[in-house]
Amino acid sequence: MEAGIGSLTRLGESAIDVTLVVVEPTPRSIDVARRGLHVADERGQGRVVIVANKISDDADRQRIIGAFGDRPTVFVPEDPAIDAADRRGTSPSDDAPDAPGVQAIEHIIDGLGLPDAVRG
Amino acid sequence: MTGSRRLRVAFVGKGGSGKSTISGSFARLLARRGEPVLALDSDPLPGMPYALGVAIDDGPIPDDVVVEGPEGGPRWVLDPRCDADAVIEQYAATGPDGVKYLQFGNLWGHASTLQRAQHAWSQVVREVDPDRWHLVGDLPGGTRQAMFGWARYADTVCVVVEPTAKSLHAAARLLNLSTATWAPHHLVIVANKVTDPAEIEAIGARLGRPVASGLPLDAALADGDRLGTAPLDVAPNGAFAHGVEALIDHVESLDYPRDMREPS
Repeated sequence: MEAGIGSLTRLGESAIDVTLVVVEPTPRSIDVARRGLHVADERGQGRVVIVANKISDDADRQRIIGAFGDRPTVFVPEDPAIDAADRRGTSPSDDAPDAPGVQAIEHIIDGLGLPDAVRG
Repeated sequence: MTGSRRLRVAFVGKGGSGKSTISGSFARLLARRGEPVLALDSDPLPGMPYALGVAIDDGPIPDDVVVEGPEGGPRWVLDPRCDADAVIEQYAATGPDGVKYLQFGNLWGHASTLQRAQHAWSQVVREVDPDRWHLVGDLPGGTRQAMFGWARYADTVCVVVEPTAKSLHAAARLLNLSTATWAPHHLVIVANKVTDPAEIEAIGARLGRPVASGLPLDAALADGDRLGTAPLDVAPNGAFAHGVEALIDHVESLDYPRDMREPS
């Protein structure tokens, strides 16, 4: 979706099965994610999973845990391979399928428990 | 800057390109030159306070100074007993270096909850005394607000672009602002998070315009971001700060129509 929470507020209630709230370990990003969580909960937008992105160390993990407590959370490490793909304008999953960041994103799909027919 | 017109600058670009970081630092460094600066934030999820170092969360113009507008006019207007100067005086936060910061609002749910504050903010921006304040604005990421004319208060719009394909794509679209009826006098390309001078050349070639300013990728700023510390407080004498100083000089040096440059 578009950055921010505007698109989420315009969805019909219970329009989606799972909301992935992507957050960086910065106060600004955490603030926006809290707002996204609030809207997703209020409007019944399915299961909500926190995707903590660009996590570089334990302090980053603790910032996220401190903000979101026991919410289901997937941690995606800060990964130069993803930045490099971004600068080249290529997909990280094509460029660096074995990079830790890409692998962590793959695990998000595993964690959602989607049936194989949906996962493709 | 004595004798010259106040600056009216807005920053646009793709989300994450660094608009808030640069605009907030631009406002502070301009204020350090002894100039009166009003920072205008029209992002409903504002990032500018972090870059300014302003301790504010939700700070919209309160609903109780907004009344229904006249028939055929805006839906909401400022209470006639409260003008732009009074709103700035009472509701703009004062940040480091004396920057005044006026927020559009901070969204928790549907945008309609901010409707009154949004109209009031727009009225203040329309009616603010152009001889009193330098205006430094930050728009939300993307093209929507920019294309709907939310930066029309600015005569210089800085398009912030990272050396990535996504950011370049957004910047190319934003350059279409030059064809709008409210087109700014100057569209300035600001390359951000640059790791190699060749990236600046590549951005200029891709966008077909010279890059006015290249700001470096600075790990210290990222660390500050994690701690919620403003860039100028985490690296006050770093290459980023010097780059923003140079950007201010550049914007000041631009030619404006004669009537706009004359002192009040």
